[in-house]
Amino acid sequence: MTEEPYRWLEAIANRREYVREQLKAGTPVFAASLTDGILLLGVGSGQSKVFELFDRHALAGLGHPADIERIRQAAIDLAHLESFTRAAEDVTLRRLVGFGLSAQLKSAFEQIYSAPFLVELLFAELGSDPARDCLARLHADGTFQVHQGGVLVCTGDPEAERAAQQWLRDQLPPSRPRSEATELLLEAWWCLVHHRTFAEQLPQEPERRAGWRSATQGRTVELAWLNRTAAKPARFEPLRLEQVGLATAASPPPG
Amino acid sequence: MIAGDFLSLLAQAHGAILPPTVPTGAPVQTQATTVFAFHCAAGVLVAGDRRATAGNQIVTDRVEKVLELDPTSLLAIAGVPAMAFEMARVLQTSFEYYRRSQLQTLSLAAKVRALARLLRENLPMTLQGVGVVVPLFAGVDTAAAPPAPHIYFYDPLGAQFHAVNFAASGSGATTIRSILSFQDRYGQPRPPQMTRPQAVQFALQLLSVAAEFDSATGGVDPQTQSYATLKLLTPAGIQTVADSEQAQALSAP
Repeated sequence: MTEEPYRWLEAIANRREYVREQLKAGTPVFAASLTDGILLLGVGSGQSKVFELFDRHALAGLGHPADIERIRQAAIDLAHLESFTRAAEDVTLRRLVGFGLSAQLKSAFEQIYSAPFLVELLFAELGSDPARDCLARLHADGTFQVHQGGVLVCTGDPEAERAAQQWLRDQLPPSRPRSEATELLLEAWWCLVHHRTFAEQLPQEPERRAGWRSATQGRTVELAWLNRTAAKPARFEPLRLEQVGLATAASPPPG
Repeated sequence: MIAGDFLSLLAQAHGAILPPTVPTGAPVQTQATTVFAFHCAAGVLVAGDRRATAGNQIVTDRVEKVLELDPTSLLAIAGVPAMAFEMARVLQTSFEYYRRSQLQTLSLAAKVRALARLLRENLPMTLQGVGVVVPLFAGVDTAAAPPAPHIYFYDPLGAQFHAVNFAASGSGATTIRSILSFQDRYGQPRPPQMTRPQAVQFALQLLSVAAEFDSATGGVDPQTQSYATLKLLTPAGIQTVADSEQAQALSAP
C-alpha cells in the first residue's frame, strides 16, 4: 500500500486524524513566563502532567501517560548526559527539543505500521530574565515552535489553543503577580475544557472564577514554579494552590 | 540497564566511567587533606581544611573539600582530587537523575552504596597508588521518624562503615581522631551536646591543631582570610558556616 505515494499521504492524514481524535479528551496545560520565574500548570490526577526535567527545565503535557513517560524519560536522559559530559549551562531547550526529541517523534509518527506517540507537549527553560526564558511547543508529529518568554498553551485543538494563547498574552504581562497569573491560567483552562469562546462571548470573570473552582473539585491542580531567584541549581518547585493564595471550591478563599 | 541508574546510562553512552589504568611513572599527584565529621546538637558538622599538596609543594589553600551532593548529602574528600571531584560529579548527577526520572529520592542506604561502588571501580588506580580516595559521607535518613543525619567512612577499596559519633580522613586524621575521641569520652561538653557556635569553634581548633603536626593540613588564619569549609547537615538540610561566623568563633574566648 505504502509504495503508492497517494496511499502513503492518505495513511499519514489518517494518522494525524487518529492522533487528534485520541487527544481530544486531554485537558490543556500552560506555561507563563513571569518576572520571578516560569509558572507551569495542568489539571490531572497528581504528577501526571507537569514534570521537572533538569535544573532549569520543565515539561508539561497531555496525552497517553505511557507516551508522556517515554518522552519525559528521553528528555531527562539527554539533559543529564549533556550536563555530565559538558556542563549544566550547555543543556538548552532549543537543542533538547530540536535535535533530540523532535526527531524521535517525527520518526515514530511516520512509521505507519507502529503506534504514534499520543502526546502534545510544552517545555520551559528558565533564563536570567523573562525575555531570555525559552518556551517550546512540541507536537505529536515532531514539529515544534520555540518562543522567547510569553505564555504557551498546549491542547489537542489547534484553533482553541491559538485563541487561548492570544487571550492570555493580552492578559498576562510578565509583571503580573504569580497568584493572579495562576488564576488566569485556571480560568483559561476552564474555558478550554468547557469549550467557551475567547472572543466577544467570553464569560465574565466571576463566572470563570466560579467555573474553574467547581471544575477542579476532585482533581489535582498540578502547579510548578521554575524559580528565577533561588540560589540552588535545581529551580523546579512543585506548588500547591494554597501557596499562591488560591483555594478550590472545597476551601474557599478567606474573606 | 537499571531504572533510574545514571551510571548504567553513562556506561551505555560513553563506555567506562573512570579510567581503568594509568601508565607507570605518573607525575607527582595532588593530594587533599584533612576532613572530619562529628555529631553535634544541631546535626552533623562536616569540616575540611582547604589545602592541596603535591609532594612537598602547596598547590593551593583554597580547595573546597566538603561538597554538597544534593540537599541532604555531603561528601568530604581526602586523597587525589582529580578522582574525588569526578566521583562527586558522578554522584551529584546520579542522585538528581534518579530523583527526576523515578519521581522519588534515593534512599540513604543506596547513596552510601553508590559511593562504595565508585571506590570499587577506582580499584586499579588505588592499587597503583596514584588515585587513592578515602572520603567521608554524611546524609540524612529521610525515611526515619524523625529524619536523622548519619556519618559514614570508607576504606580505599570501598568498604563502608557507619560512624557512631565521628569520623576523620586524610593525613591529619590521626591527630583529629585522637582529640575527638578524647573529647567524646572526657570532654565537657561532649561533641553531641555542643551548640552550633561551640561545634564551629571546636572544629576550627581541631584543624589548627592538626595543622601543627601535619604540613599537608592547612590551618585557619583570619589575617589572610583563610578559613575552613564547614557545613552543618541538619534533618532540614545543609547550612554553610560563613567565614564571618568562623572569624567570630576564632575570636571568642
